[in-house]
Amino acid sequence: MLRRLAIRAVFGLTALLLALPAAARTRPRYGDTLRVEVSGDPWERPGGLARRLVFDGLTQMAPDGELEPALAISWASENNDHRWQFRLRPGVHFHDGSSVTTTAVVASLMASCTANCPWDSVRALATSIVFTSDEAMPQLPQLLAGSEFLIAKGAGADPDGGTGAFEVSGFANGTLTLAANDSSWAGRPFVDAIEIRVNRAVNDQWIDLAAGRTDVAEVPAESIRGAQQQHLNLALAPQAEVLALQLSDRGALANANLRAAIGYAIDRNAIANVIFQKQGKISAALLPQSVSGYAFLFSAERDLNKAHELRGGMTPAPLVLTAGADAALQLTAQRIILNLREAGFNVQLAGPAVRAADMRLRTFAMQGADAAGDLVSVALASGLAVPAMGAGPSSTYNAERELLEHRTLIPLVHLPRAWAVSGRVRDLQLRYDGSPVLEGVSLEAAK
Amino acid sequence: MSLRQKLLLLFSLTIAAAVAAVAWTVLIRIRHVFEQRDQEETALFVGQFQREFQNRSTDVVAAVGRLAGSERARSMAVEIGQTGDSALFVNEAQRMAQDAHLDFLEIASPAGEIISSAQWPARFGYTDAAALTQSTASFLKREGLPDGTETLGLFAVRPVRGADPSFRILGGQKLDQAFVTGLPVAPGMTVGLYANNAVQVQMQAPGGTFAGFDPRQLIGPDGSVANAQAYEPVVMSALRGGNQTSSIIYLTKRREDSINLTALPLKNEQGQVLAVLTVAISRAGMVAAQQHIRAIAYGVASGGILLAIIFSLWIAARVSRPIEELARASEAVAAGNWDVSVAERGRDELAVLARSFNHMTAQLTAQRERLVQTERVAAWRELARRLAHELKNPLFPLQLTVENLVRARQLGAEEFEEVFRESTQTLGMEIANLKTIIGRFSDFSKMPKPEIERLEASDAIWRVALLYFPSLVRGSAIEDGAAAASMDRIRCSVEVSLEPMPLDADPELLHRALSNLVLNARDAMPEGGTLRLGARPVGNWIELTVADTGEGLTPEECGRLFTPYYTTKQHGTGLGLAIVQSVIADHSGTIAVESNVGSGATFVITLPRATA
Repeated sequence: MLRRLAIRAVFGLTALLLALPAAARTRPRYGDTLRVEVSGDPWERPGGLARRLVFDGLTQMAPDGELEPALAISWASENNDHRWQFRLRPGVHFHDGSSVTTTAVVASLMASCTANCPWDSVRALATSIVFTSDEAMPQLPQLLAGSEFLIAKGAGADPDGGTGAFEVSGFANGTLTLAANDSSWAGRPFVDAIEIRVNRAVNDQWIDLAAGRTDVAEVPAESIRGAQQQHLNLALAPQAEVLALQLSDRGALANANLRAAIGYAIDRNAIANVIFQKQGKISAALLPQSVSGYAFLFSAERDLNKAHELRGGMTPAPLVLTAGADAALQLTAQRIILNLREAGFNVQLAGPAVRAADMRLRTFAMQGADAAGDLVSVALASGLAVPAMGAGPSSTYNAERELLEHRTLIPLVHLPRAWAVSGRVRDLQLRYDGSPVLEGVSLEAAK
Repeated sequence: MSLRQKLLLLFSLTIAAAVAAVAWTVLIRIRHVFEQRDQEETALFVGQFQREFQNRSTDVVAAVGRLAGSERARSMAVEIGQTGDSALFVNEAQRMAQDAHLDFLEIASPAGEIISSAQWPARFGYTDAAALTQSTASFLKREGLPDGTETLGLFAVRPVRGADPSFRILGGQKLDQAFVTGLPVAPGMTVGLYANNAVQVQMQAPGGTFAGFDPRQLIGPDGSVANAQAYEPVVMSALRGGNQTSSIIYLTKRREDSINLTALPLKNEQGQVLAVLTVAISRAGMVAAQQHIRAIAYGVASGGILLAIIFSLWIAARVSRPIEELARASEAVAAGNWDVSVAERGRDELAVLARSFNHMTAQLTAQRERLVQTERVAAWRELARRLAHELKNPLFPLQLTVENLVRARQLGAEEFEEVFRESTQTLGMEIANLKTIIGRFSDFSKMPKPEIERLEASDAIWRVALLYFPSLVRGSAIEDGAAAASMDRIRCSVEVSLEPMPLDADPELLHRALSNLVLNARDAMPEGGTLRLGARPVGNWIELTVADTGEGLTPEECGRLFTPYYTTKQHGTGLGLAIVQSVIADHSGTIAVESNVGSGATFVITLPRATA
């Protein structure tokens, strides 16, 4: 209960900060085009910005962290959460005008999850979609709110369209244009269109923002402090993701002591305070305290002596560490390599495409609504066995402890996500994972 | 070898040696000059590189100094000093390095703790001892990189001015391919840098230990350096010794594919050699010029030697021609032809010699003619004396007999008849005696031509021995005392070799000669004695001896013994030994006499041994 209150307090504060300038204004204005710039691909799975605007899930997370109905209007579990039945919202159409059917939904779900799915089977049953599994699936409604389970018409990498508040109207000169869907089941968005300029460097985004050429720009965690110093108008999700080091339990790291030694060798302080400019919060657990209710499961302090002791004189073969192309992740990876070199490990940095890596530096998004759901989500994303858990924080605590005990996932820091917005943007809200709710944004008229 | 050939050889060798010595001296000198020039050129370029290196150092120092004095650095230092939070500047070094065009840049705290690193951003918080360097000069340093390798850099450290505490800025530039490319090079020159960045190298200079030479680590303006393996001895020498090293390196077996390689050790502040800068100057142009000059020198020398030989031929011919004429004339004189003369050219010693030679031959000819005339007169006188002597003896009895006959006419018939018969008998005997004397002279004037046939020398000896000593037994070769009675108490001994002793000779003439000697020996021993006959082979000759034990001969007598009409006998004609000598000469042999007064005489005939 306290956790929920904390979440609501954080989001309420964020919304309040953004809403203050417009407190004296009247109702939102329809029309105009919202200009957004991103550094990556808006269609990138799972968290591409355009996906949330064009597609809907069966469920969705409200900005306050509450689970809401989306394409499913209700759901119910049976058989101790081994069977779930989601009732499809009637009268919903894809952007091409075709009706959303349970068959289409099942096809989309099966296409989006080919392996390591939270369910064993999914099928259409009249106006419902039925999920079954040998394992209990208490977090299934929350998992289905994740962006990886958005419903699209047509399977494959290039779906025909969705049911979201916006539909694709064109792509030219590096700018994706989305037009407002007048017949959206959630109601027409305020802006007529959204222009998303892709693959734009963050510095250039900020320049465009200052010059009035964009309305929304990305602010990576390591740049939040700088953005604040520049007095940019920020929308911030404080603990949107966790940065963790995923270790292989085979090959050179088959020995659990070596994996544990790596955990002790890493200097989280340097990562959180320097690389992420004090915006990262040192993580002694996989889930943020605001979600799980507990602060730590292990000591996050660097202990080089302990690392040496655990290594026990063993000199493992050279290890390969992969990290995303993001500058902060690369820097963090280099720092980890330095730390591990001091502990007697020889590590080489490789690109993210290398599959036979011994270690992967990656981030996991936090949905925020339910600790157990986030834990399952992380376990599924990392390919680890989903620990069994019951209701309540203690069960989650034990499950996370069980998950981390294997020393194949080492949480490092919890990171915020932020966006810089121009002064004419009204009512921009962020979900817990930091994704912006652009369908709720309106623009002030030009003066 | 003739005189002309000797002179030609002498002149040619002398001139060729002189030309070769000059050519060799010139070539050595040229080579020395070229190498000196090459070394000077190398030293010039090496100096240029050192200046360029110094310029780069100055640039780095200036760039770091500008950064340290910039408002940006000062503001950063002030802010960090006030807040104690350096995290905000963790990426500052990258931006500053980019603006200052530096490859390396680290911002460090006064304690040397890295605040921001451009080359290794993740190293913040670690200490770099080099940042605490107080030196204002640049220095070399191996800088670790995130990928685990090291790279060589030229660094400088400056404190941030106007900030307290004093933050430090450590900046530098890579010494890599770009650095090598930026160095000024002349045509035919190649510069390289051997830094061995790929692996961690334990280096202690000088005399330290190094990893083996890796030719791939020698980088040039185009990346790798061709034939880098050949650089190993010079590079490793500079690495180990820590001193500038130069050597000529042959890249292939061809001389023109050689370089003058200089290795400049690059050291850090502690004197450790971190890298070696190589300056390779191609010797192709110099070698080509040397070869061109050498070819010209060889051509000139060859032409000179050829001309020298031709000139020597002319000189040798000119010098040797009078001497050769003199030699030919001398040979003619030696052969008995005294009517020769040589041309007298010029006024030098050879002309004097030729004149003297001509004078000498003229004198000899005149003297010979006079001698012949004199000898001819003497011969006639001797002949007349002998004839008078020989004829006078029978003439005297003839005169007495005729006078007796004239006086006998006054006697009675019977007495006259008896005187007449005795006188006519005496006249007949004396006339016969005259005929004998005339016959001997006739025989000497009519010596028969030898009729040569093969015979054994021993046969000739035994034939004459048995003639005069019939009681001898052939082959016993022992003295026969009984025979002495028939030879006026002369004993004979024969000593004949058992070896074959074939002779090509006229047996009758040879027998006549030997008989003559035997009879002379008998005459030389009126009181008796011993006669020794012998024959023995001596090399390709056969030696026949006839020895007696008579009174012997004086040396004067020995010298004149074979002269015609010379005799030591009271009634001899002096023709016997002359005939013997004539016979032996006709058989291509010689005859000699060995004698001393009172010890007998030995005549030795030497005849050529007949060949199959």
